[in-house]
Formats: sequence, structure tokens, C-alpha cells
Amino acid sequence: MYYAVRHFTRFRYSRPVWQSVMELRMHPRSEHMQRCFTFQLSVSPRARVFRYVDHLGNNVHHFDIPAPHKHLTIVADALVEVDAPIELPSSLGIEAWQELDEMIRHEDYWDMLQPSHFARSSPELEQLARDFGITERNTFDPLEALLLLNEKVYNGFNYVKQSTQVDSPIEDALRSRQGVCQDFAHITIALARNLRIPCRYVSGYLYHDDLHADRSADGATHAWLEALIPGLGWVGFDPTNNLIAGERHIRTAVGRDYADVPPTVGVLKGSAASDLQVRVRVTPSDAILPPDQELASDQEWSRFLERDQQAELLQARQQQQQQQ
Amino acid sequence: MATTSHSADRTGSDPFSAYQVQSAYDEMFRSHGRPRTQYRALHTRLLSMGPDELRRCKQEADLSFFNQGITFTVYGRGEGIEQIFPHDLLPRIISSAEWEIIDRGLTQRITALNIFLKDVYHERHIVRDGIIPGEMIYTCKHFRRQMRGVKVPRDVYVSVCGTDLIRMPDGKFVVLEDNLRVPSGVSYMLTSRRVMKQIFPLLFRKCGVRPIEHYSQALLATLRSLAPEERSSPMIVLLTPGVHNSAYFEHTYLARQMGIELVEGRDLVVHDNYVYMRNTSGLQRVDVIYRRVDDDFLDPLAFRPDSALGAAGLFNAYRAGNVVLANALGNGVADDKAIYAYVPDIIRYYLGEEPILDNVETYLMIDQKQRQHVCDNLEKFVVKAVGESGGYGMLIGPHSSSEQRALFRERILADPRNYIAQPTLALSTAPCLVDDEHVEPRHVDLRPYVLYGDKVTIVPGGLTRVALRKGSLVVNSSQGGGSKDTWVLAS
Amino acid sequence: MLSRVADSLYWMSRYLERADHCSRVLEANYNLLLNPSKPSREQRWHRISASLGLTGDLGSADPQTSLVRLIAEPRLASSIVSCIAVARENASQVREQISSEMWERLNQLYHEITQNSMQMTVDSEPLRLITLFREGTYRFQGVTDSTINHGEGWHFIRLGRFLERACGLSTLLDAYFSTAAGTDDLDWVALLTSCSAFEAYCKVYTADLKPEAVAEFLLLNPDFPFTVRHSTEQMHNTLHALANIASARKTSTIERMVGKLQSSLAYTQIDEIMPRDLHPFFTDVIGQCHRLHAAIHELYFEYPIESMFEV
Repeated sequence: MYYAVRHFTRFRYSRPVWQSVMELRMHPRSEHMQRCFTFQLSVSPRARVFRYVDHLGNNVHHFDIPAPHKHLTIVADALVEVDAPIELPSSLGIEAWQELDEMIRHEDYWDMLQPSHFARSSPELEQLARDFGITERNTFDPLEALLLLNEKVYNGFNYVKQSTQVDSPIEDALRSRQGVCQDFAHITIALARNLRIPCRYVSGYLYHDDLHADRSADGATHAWLEALIPGLGWVGFDPTNNLIAGERHIRTAVGRDYADVPPTVGVLKGSAASDLQVRVRVTPSDAILPPDQELASDQEWSRFLERDQQAELLQARQQQQQQQ
Repeated sequence: MATTSHSADRTGSDPFSAYQVQSAYDEMFRSHGRPRTQYRALHTRLLSMGPDELRRCKQEADLSFFNQGITFTVYGRGEGIEQIFPHDLLPRIISSAEWEIIDRGLTQRITALNIFLKDVYHERHIVRDGIIPGEMIYTCKHFRRQMRGVKVPRDVYVSVCGTDLIRMPDGKFVVLEDNLRVPSGVSYMLTSRRVMKQIFPLLFRKCGVRPIEHYSQALLATLRSLAPEERSSPMIVLLTPGVHNSAYFEHTYLARQMGIELVEGRDLVVHDNYVYMRNTSGLQRVDVIYRRVDDDFLDPLAFRPDSALGAAGLFNAYRAGNVVLANALGNGVADDKAIYAYVPDIIRYYLGEEPILDNVETYLMIDQKQRQHVCDNLEKFVVKAVGESGGYGMLIGPHSSSEQRALFRERILADPRNYIAQPTLALSTAPCLVDDEHVEPRHVDLRPYVLYGDKVTIVPGGLTRVALRKGSLVVNSSQGGGSKDTWVLAS
Repeated sequence: MLSRVADSLYWMSRYLERADHCSRVLEANYNLLLNPSKPSREQRWHRISASLGLTGDLGSADPQTSLVRLIAEPRLASSIVSCIAVARENASQVREQISSEMWERLNQLYHEITQNSMQMTVDSEPLRLITLFREGTYRFQGVTDSTINHGEGWHFIRLGRFLERACGLSTLLDAYFSTAAGTDDLDWVALLTSCSAFEAYCKVYTADLKPEAVAEFLLLNPDFPFTVRHSTEQMHNTLHALANIASARKTSTIERMVGKLQSSLAYTQIDEIMPRDLHPFFTDVIGQCHRLHAAIHELYFEYPIESMFEV
């Protein structure tokens, strides 16, 4: 399945700010079932955009805007292909735990097994595990455990838009039994890590269509998790919608939790109240989206990055030719 | 020796009369009244001086320290108080043969630790090969995940290192601690040498003391060797947290000695992945930053968002290779007190050599068996928190109360990764002037400074830290420690 | 030179000059305040506070209490003690850039003033403290001129001093000449003494105290250090020297601004301005100084980063 993704972000400041430095994690990953063919980034006010790959393999773009500005707009356009997922078995058998432990011993999954800033244990979380009846490994195999967790979190929590903040600890959601996709992912990760299943946080997008009654909000970024399952590798679970992540899930970044992969993070000078507006549109497509009146508004987008990447590509080709 | 007793008779007041050589190794005396070869000239000189002259020398030295403004800041109530760095008049002397071992040992160690850091942040062979459990690395407070895969100029992580050595009762130097992040104290080494040359000019010549005054040039050369090659005259600056930092004197001292700009985070601007400093004549590009600011405070974008001591975007400029930071970030994983226990294995693994300088025997509290043994015998051990420095977070078993031991036992059990234990060590003793008139033994350690750029440079000497309180083993300046000039002899 | 360092040196110097100016004015008027005379103490105090550009309750409160507060009240931003504290704070930020003698002098001055001011009460002798302070600042200025390079940093120190002085003197003259009613000889003496200028004035004009002559001297004399013209000429020289050092910068605006100010005083006769209302004249000079400060700040200390990258 091909998707055109447009991710629109706008910061508005009550007073001018300056020397804004910002990092973005919006570039869809290319691995396994997913390939990102094109990615374009437009930033206003104009800025030169740089890119690096972080230690988790995520594409990070960054830029700075020295001059005073009262708004900052970012539009990311990506063309992505996602394969249909393989069929999962209904169970693996209880010996899969040994297999999992063997994998953990031989490969480096440390970071995805330990509690992290947002996905951590607490008395509330332990109580939840007891309520769910999933405190130990014994009765289920790893896949069953995850499927059960996915379903229990889905059923046990209400999805309420803006009920928590991006920096809310999961205890808020645990107490109120409501939250957003980020909370559900963190809670499920913490529960699964308690069973010593390596688990990671995924940020990305979900394609909403008429066939599925998804709980998560259309037009926004999405978050879910991936667990390491013996024989299957990293399998995505979406507790917000009680789904196995599949053809509709587009992955942009993975990390221990949200703190590793915020779509935007920045530092600026000046003191102003800020207002953040985010819109996401995922469209099944064969080609990149044409300029869009609704999302692109009246800004004139700079295309620095695009040009830079083309220049790099050209340079790389030239070097190859010289070597040959 | 005949001369000794003769001199003593002549002045009628032997300052060493109360000097007791104890079970610890004594730097000066083999046994009572028998100085080691390298100390003979000093011994003779001291015997000939008499109490008045000694006192006068001490006062002259004090005044010189005061006039040079050699101070450190102690934080007590609110505002920090500047104090003169306590020092002892008598030099600590190391023979050339002893120094040769130290020099080779430290070179070996910094070489291995540099390779280790590169490995930890790239391929992680050492973990895969089972030499160090990955857990030890990932649980380290100073491990910086952001450094994974980052190319460091010349693969030099540790450009400046201060290694704490102590001398065992058998006379062998062993390593107590590596300081690979922002080691300090070198300004005291340099200034105290200047003072001592004024006080004992003749003795210097007679003993053949090797010079250390080229340290600042060597540091500058080291920093320059790390600069991007295309920058023919690289701009090198020293980044300080500011006037309120306890080592601010040292920062100003080194910047002045090297003739480089002393900058604060607010002087720096990062634009399009380059670092600039804000001059009256405009922005000037910065190539190398000798930073005396801790990792977490260097860049609010990459690390602590509340830090005002660094510059936003600095880490990205560093990753892109547009600016050099010395030392590199994330070095704390290699001077963690628990990783320390693995350094001999690290040396063997990367260099295929036996360590020239041994470690102190160290028990890891994360290991169940070792923990049990230590917890059962706490009164015999020194327990240290791995992330702490400056002599804080320590239990000295033999000097502890049962309540303190119970408290530490609890702490160890609650967070075993955070603690290590070492047997109580008899630090060697060196003569110190007490009450400005007689000489008594006090415990000392030694911190030589190692520089690593295109080559390893170790100036012959270091900071000898001394526990000025009688019987004390704590040499940290924040806790009653002082310093001594360290003389390494030419032959 | 780092902008932060230049900024600190400049402000250190401005605050010292501000304290110095305040102390001269208070010293010169103190005796007048003691006299029960016409005009009343309250009227005199009103003029003093106006000549220092003070606002708020300091102008209306009891003169003696206000005077003591103006010297020693650490919570009052315009007090001498506060100015010294800010000057010292600025100096401490750049200790490695100034000579140790300068730091020691300033530090010592700060400690002497704060200690003594704590003991001072309304009834004790405020002049003693002022004298102590004046000697301290003279020494500091002497040490400044004789112990550091006369390079960029020194120029910023001088720039701060003379810009502050030009502002202070203009405010002072404004208070005397814009409302000349009820001014007697004693007041003119006090004005001259406020500028340490009584003796220098007498050498030029004899002890004949005529308002025109006083105004001419304090405004237009090029040679005496405490005149508006002299201050602007020093600013002109200093800014020119700085422009030569920072040759890459666009200094033309600043040089034009200071050149205009300096020449407007250099080519003016007192009889051209005296017959008219002097208040707009002084307001204009002060305004030019403020704009000059803003331009200096924007060019050397806090220039917009993006201006450096404009192609």
C-alpha cells in the first residue's frame, strides 16, 4: 500500500522569539515492511535544514532560525510504501519464553527491557497488572501475553482527546483510566517489560479509512509499541485501537519511549506563550501530494532540504564516476 | 648516616624528631632517620634550616600563593567563599625510575581507555565478547546514548585526563581512580611549582628536578592537533560555567597561560551547524572547545533543557564534525567506579598487554557473592558510590559507626549497581610541615595529568594531594586536603 | 574581545561614574542643606533630586532622610551603594580581563562602603562616607589608566564613563538653568562644585559668578574633564578608536551620531542658546546620548545574530 503523508506543524508565539533551534523526527523509516521513497521538508521562516541518523536509526532533521519570528511552520511530505503484514500464529507455545531469553542473552536488547522515563513501573502499574491477571510469564506465551495486554489496555482505558499532556507521567492515565495513544503505548510497554519482553515505543501515523472504527483521532500523529516476539521479530501492537500494527501503520521513529522520539523538540530565546497546531493527513496514493490549499495555506515554502539532498546525490554520483 | 646526626646536633632542633615511620609506605624514609636516595638533598637542607628559617619559608610561600590569587570556592551558606588553596611547603619527590613506570603505565591506560570508549560507542566488541556485561555500561549514569555512532576527531575521547595514583605499602604505585571527564587541579600543580622555585632555588638545581612548566603549551598543542584539518589557524577557546564555578580560578589561569579566549555558554551561538562566539567585532567561528562544563549542561537541545551554561545546537555541530569538544562527551562511562574494576581486562583485551599499573582490589556490589562478602565485613572496607567524586558518598569502614554501616548496607542492597567496595588502603605518607615548625607524616596520593592528541604527553609531576589532618585518608580539597609540589628527578 | 566582556566593562564604568556624579552633587549641596535659609531646605532638596534625575518619593521626603538613603540604601537602585555593588558585580564577571589591582581597588571600595554605610544613621556624618568613596574612585581610575593595556577594553571603560558623564551633567545643568528662579550665588557655587569645577572656573572667569559664564564653562569648555563638551569629545575619540579596532563592523552610523553631538557643542556659542529656553536643548543632548547608547549596545554587545549572516 502506498501513502502520501503530509504532516503540518505550526508554532505561534504571543511575542517574537529568536534563535530557535529545532529537531524533527518526521522522516518515515525504511526497514522491514516499510519504505520511504521521498521526503520533503518545508520550513518557514526560511532555514537551512540538516539531517542526521540518531543512535536508534531514526532520521532527524534540524535547523535554526536566528531572526525574531512570531510563527514557525513545518510541513513534512512523505511518500511511503507499507507491505501487508504476515499472518501471526494464534500461539507460540510456552517454550517460546526460553527462546526469548536466549535472544535476549545473545543480542543487545538492554534498553528496551529496562524501565524508561515514561514507561516505568509504579504501585499503580503493578496493581493494573494484577487487575489484568498478567503479572507473571507462566500462563501465556509471549505473543499471547502481548495480545492480551493489547486488548486489556484497550478495554480498560477510555480514549479521551487531550486528557493528558505530552509530558504527563503514565500514573495520570492509570488513575483516571483515560488517556491518549501515547499513554496506552507507555502503559503496555511498562507491563510487557515487567515480563522481560523487549518493548519499544513507535511514533508514526495511522491511516484511517471507513472500514475500521479506530478510536485514535484522525488528523494527528499516532503512537503504539513493538515487542520482540520469538520467531517473528519486532511485532507492532496498537493498544489504542486493539490492533496488530499492519498495513495502515506508518512508522517514523522508534525509541525507549516518547522522550526519545518527540516529533519536534526545540530551544528558543525570548519569552512568549506558544500555541501549537498539528495536522496530519494520510492519503492512499501513487504519488506525492500536490500542493494543498487547506494545509499549505498562504506560506511560501522554502525547499532548502530538497535542494541539499539533490546536491549531495549529485556529488556522490560525481565521486563514483571519478573513481571508476 | 653520619651527616644526618651531625647536622641535627649543629642546629640543636631536628624538625624530624617527632617523625614516626608507620606501617604505610613512607615517601621519604626507609626507616627512622634513613631517608631514601631521592630525598637526601632535601633532608640535609631541612636539617640545616632551623625552625625560624622554616617558618619564614612557609610564610613566604603563603604570601606568594595569596598574591597569585590561587583560590578555590567553597560553597556553604549562600554565596561561595573563596579560600586560599591549602598547601604544604615540603615537596614530594619521585625518582626517575619510579616515574618511568608511572609514565608507561599511564600511557598504556589512556590508550586502552580511548579504544574502549570508541568501542563502547560503536561496535561494542567488548560486550559481545563477554569481557564486560552490557548491563554495566547501560546502567552507568554517565553513559551517553547520543554518542553512539558519533565520529570523534582522531578517535580521541580523552584528551585530558587526571589519574589518581596511590602507593601501596610495598612501594608500588596503583591506580585508584581515572578522571576522564573534566579533571581539575592542574593549575595548582603549576602555581605551586612557581612558588617552590622561589623558596628553594638551589635545591632545585641540586636535585635535578624535571620541568613541568610546558604543560600549558602541551595542552594547547593537544587541542590544536584535534582541530579540523582544513582550519589552518583554528580558534580554540576554553568554556567555563562562569565565575561561580569552584574551579573558575583554574579556568582563567589556563586560558591566560594558553592565550586563548575564556568563554561562557552565553558567548556562543550555533548557526547552520557551526559554532561562533560573539565578539565586539562580529561573530567568530570556534573550532575547538576545551570545555570545563559537564556533559549534561553543554547543549539544552540535546541534554538538560534547563541548562544555560552551554549553547543550543552545540552537539549537532559536534556530531557534524564542525567543532571539537575536548574532552569528548560520554567519557564518564569509562571512569565509572564500577567499570574501573574492569580496566585491567580492558587493557588486556585491546592491547594484549598486562597492565603496568595495577588497580586497587575492587568489589562490585552488583555481584551477589562479592556483595555478601562486603556486607558481612563492612568495617574492613571503603564503600564508594560509583557516580560520586570529591570524596563524597563514601563509607570508611574502620572509622565508621555501626549506624553508618547499617545505613550503607541498606543503601547497597537498595541500589547495588551504584556501589563498590575496596579494602581500606594505607595511603603512603610523606613529610609535612606541621605548625610551621616540625615535620610529621601525612597521607598522600598523586594525580599526574595525561594529555592525548596526536601523541601522549605526560609532564613529569602532578598534583600531590595530602590529607592535612593527622591520620586522615581523605585528600580532597573540599574536605581538609591540601597540595604539595611534586618533583620528578632527572636521574 | 567578547561582547559580554565589553558590555561588563562598559557598565562597570557607567555605574562607577553614576555613583561618582551622585556623590559630587551631594557633597556640594550638603552644606547648603544645613543652612536654614531661603530658599528652604525642601526647595533645595527638590532641585538636588531633579539635578540627579530622581523621581518618586525621594524628591518630596525629608531631605536628611533622603540624603542618607541616596548614599546608603542598598534597596534603592540609584543609591551610591547600589551603584558600587552593580559596578563590582560587572567587574567580577570579567575579573580575568581587568588587572588584579583594579579588582582589588573596587572590591575594597565596595567592602568599605557597605560596612560603613551600615553604621551610618541619619544623625551621623554622611560626608565622611562620601569622601571615602571619592578617594576610592579616584584611585580606581588611576589604577585603571596605569595597569591595563590601552586597548579595546580600556576604550569601553572610557566610553562608559564619558557617556554617563555627558548624561549626568546635562541633567544637572538642566535642573539649574531651565528653572533659574530663586537661584543665588551659593547655588552657582554648589553647581560648580558638583562638577569639581569651582577652581577651574575661577581661573577662567574669576570668581565673578554669572549664569552665562557658568553655563558656558560647564557646557562648552573643551579642556575641563567635567563638561558636556569634553565628555562628548572623549566619546568621539573613543568610538573612533573602537571603530578602527572593529574595522569589519558598520560603524558609520555611530560615528555620525557622535560626530553630530560633538560638533553641535564644538561649534556653538553660549549666546546662541542662552537667550532661549534651555530645557529643550538639554533634553536633546540627553536624547542623543540615549540613542548613542542604544546604537553602541546594538553594534557591539547584543547585535542580532542574523545580521551577521546576511549575504
